[in-house]
Amino acid sequence: MPRLVRWIWILLALQLALGMIAYAHFLITGQYSLLGWYFWALGSLFFLVMTATECCLAIICRTWFDWDEPMRLAWGMIACAALARLAGTLLRAVSDGHLPWGYWHRFSQPSGGLFVSLSQLGMVVGGPLSMAFLAIGLGRVLSIQRKFHLVGSLTRGDRALLLLVLAFTISQLYINLPLSGNHPSLGTMLLWLSDPLLSLLLIEAILVRRSVIRMGQGLVAKCWGMFVLAIVVTSAGDAAIWASNHGLLSASLTALSWYIWFVAAAAFASAPAYQLAAISLTRESSVVLPLRG
Amino acid sequence: MCFEAAPASGLDDLQTRLNQWSHLWTQESESASRTEAQQLVAERLASWMERCFGQRMQSSLRGKENQISLASSTPVFNAFLGRRATRELSRRVLQDI
Repeated sequence: MPRLVRWIWILLALQLALGMIAYAHFLITGQYSLLGWYFWALGSLFFLVMTATECCLAIICRTWFDWDEPMRLAWGMIACAALARLAGTLLRAVSDGHLPWGYWHRFSQPSGGLFVSLSQLGMVVGGPLSMAFLAIGLGRVLSIQRKFHLVGSLTRGDRALLLLVLAFTISQLYINLPLSGNHPSLGTMLLWLSDPLLSLLLIEAILVRRSVIRMGQGLVAKCWGMFVLAIVVTSAGDAAIWASNHGLLSASLTALSWYIWFVAAAAFASAPAYQLAAISLTRESSVVLPLRG
Repeated sequence: MCFEAAPASGLDDLQTRLNQWSHLWTQESESASRTEAQQLVAERLASWMERCFGQRMQSSLRGKENQISLASSTPVFNAFLGRRATRELSRRVLQDI
């Protein structure tokens, strides 16, 4: 495992270990105080560190490709997706007061409910906008993989999953579209795009997974495998929110499901780290050079 | 602007090296025509490919002649690692074979 990827997952393990203490406290006492503090302070910090890492690494990956290389656009879009996620995290943290290092916004809060719209803007930027960038980037990657016949044929399981994803998307549109008559805000309507975009990402993830299986367990394969993991985990988190909103999850299970987002953030950050490790491998002296002497 | 013609021996040397690059990937790894040094490069290159892409990538790259050639491997390396990284790898390999 590349050093950077190892650090990301060690950080995740530490984050989850601390989180489990907060969760145990919640289970024993039934109070949200420690759990709330954990997500407010360490949770926000973790997301900021992971999205910033992902963004920086994706930009570095992009610079390794010349302007006329198709993967440059893919990594550019992935970097934009990471940047949007980082901006969304910051906007929400600022507007909801979730920044762990102070309450400065309380002193600068303007009247007129600006922070409510800022929070929604953060959700749109970190949600549908980020997903759209990622979908374009992964679409580009898929076209490259298809060019080299790396995308294998879909299995029955893949097809069943695709059908499930499509059915879920259509059902969400069926629920949301009639609400458009109530004159919802632009932000609300943009947030409705989250599910269709996540479905598109899942479809792309299924296809990328096929190519990963075809390649094996190398660094490049793991890079795209990490995107698949991140998208699947994001979908699971989304499903948990949906289930929780519909009263299908108990309070303890709902609280447990919040931790899933840390895994998604770590997987997103690991993907460009694997790509950089693959690029570095071509410069490693152990590839060919020990022949001398 | 005019260019001086490259010495024939230089071109021959380059051609030999490029052919060897292709041969590095072939299945007949214990070929008698290979020097010990080339054998080692071939082994390291195969190991690099496995670490970088995956253990099944070699079979995906084999053409009709069941060989990984310069023509079949370079575009894939360029696409996934970038031209600069591939150039770096090629430079090192060509230097050492």
